[in-house]
Amino acid sequence: MIPVLEIFQPKSVDEICRLLKSNNGDTRIIAGGTDIIPGFHIDSPRFAGIKRLLDLQLVDELKTVSINHQIISIGAAITFSDIITNPVLNSYLPLLVKSSKTIGSTQIRNRATLGGNFINNAPCADSVAPLLVYDAEIKIKSFTSEKIMKLQDFLVKPYATRLNPDEIVTKIMVPVPSTDFVGDFYKLGRRRAVSISRISLAMLMMNEDKIIKEMRIASGAVTPIGTRLYDVEEFAKGKVCNEEAFKEIAIKLGERILAVSGLRWSSEYKIPVVQQVCYQLIKGIERRSL
Amino acid sequence: MKINFTLNSQNVSIEIEPNLRLLDLLRDRFNLTGTKEGCSIGECGACTVIMNSKAVNSCLILAGQCNGAEIITIEGMESDGKLHPLQENFLKSGAIQCGFCTPGMIMSAYALLIEKKNPTDEEIKEAIAGNLCRCTGYKQIIDAVSQSAKEIKINT
Repeated sequence: MIPVLEIFQPKSVDEICRLLKSNNGDTRIIAGGTDIIPGFHIDSPRFAGIKRLLDLQLVDELKTVSINHQIISIGAAITFSDIITNPVLNSYLPLLVKSSKTIGSTQIRNRATLGGNFINNAPCADSVAPLLVYDAEIKIKSFTSEKIMKLQDFLVKPYATRLNPDEIVTKIMVPVPSTDFVGDFYKLGRRRAVSISRISLAMLMMNEDKIIKEMRIASGAVTPIGTRLYDVEEFAKGKVCNEEAFKEIAIKLGERILAVSGLRWSSEYKIPVVQQVCYQLIKGIERRSL
Repeated sequence: MKINFTLNSQNVSIEIEPNLRLLDLLRDRFNLTGTKEGCSIGECGACTVIMNSKAVNSCLILAGQCNGAEIITIEGMESDGKLHPLQENFLKSGAIQCGFCTPGMIMSAYALLIEKKNPTDEEIKEAIAGNLCRCTGYKQIIDAVSQSAKEIKINT
């Protein structure tokens, strides 16, 4: 059952911060609502005790995309549909656009938001891995303070973040990636459309004279939360681009994911698949780098 | 709380409980029972309506979020007693069997045609991916949408 609530439709971030000022947890921000409303419906303990909702629909400043001093700023309440059609994001952050296209259905993408995806912090949140390889930071505001945090540090464990009850995430900030990076995103679900990720990987790679100069990899769904795999990246650095090296990196990735996630009933299937996905991604990126 | 919005081209104003979903508002308060409740969690698309020119699941939206919005339901598709080309073609193509998914399916197709005059079959499939039909096997539905796009183009 949906609890009897008060719904506010504030018009600005300042107004939201005022309304959140003395929040003890009974006030919650609602953006697309595609997690909260089904959560209410099944009486999820994650949404118990909410008495007041602050709807972000009318807050235009939370939906804009801009570039300033080589930083792309994305309003946290931008919908996935708006990400997909945004020219700036299409030219600079293609992995984010590609992952957004795989989320839910048209109806869901018309409502669900980028900020909502990582604030809900489900293991299968598809936009997280791309944001991590792009080194995204987020801006968090409250009535009295404003801070910037790395997205990876903000994400604590499944369905938990460092967001305090009096705070709102206003922006996602991504440095314009070097044009030397070539990247890709892959999602494996149980069906082609409207699926929940079982495995997702985002990868950026920069090669110079057939040597891997830099690699960034992040996983989703196959790790408890979206995770950058720094030691695999370190392992890949300086390797010569050939089949053998690609296989070594893929094997290393599988080992690392097993170490992070622990042995599960599905590991026997997922680890070889994630290794194969990794290998195919590197191969595809290498082909496009030539 | 009191909300004002546009419902099938008419301005409406109504006093509601804040925990009412858009779906319940349409069905129980406005008696627009064409919009169906299937899964209630945004998976099946039977409750799809148009909100500000976009297809949305009305089971995932609270009525209190609809202040100022423009909502179109299946009941708003016909004009002057004449069915919309999409409705005509769903009938002609045999895109309806039990009919439960049809209103949602037509609203998703309508949202697509607002955006794209000339959709490919692939774009039609993508647009209705969030609408489950357990009877027709989708082929007739895709044909009906494709045919409607052609007719609407000729008539505008």
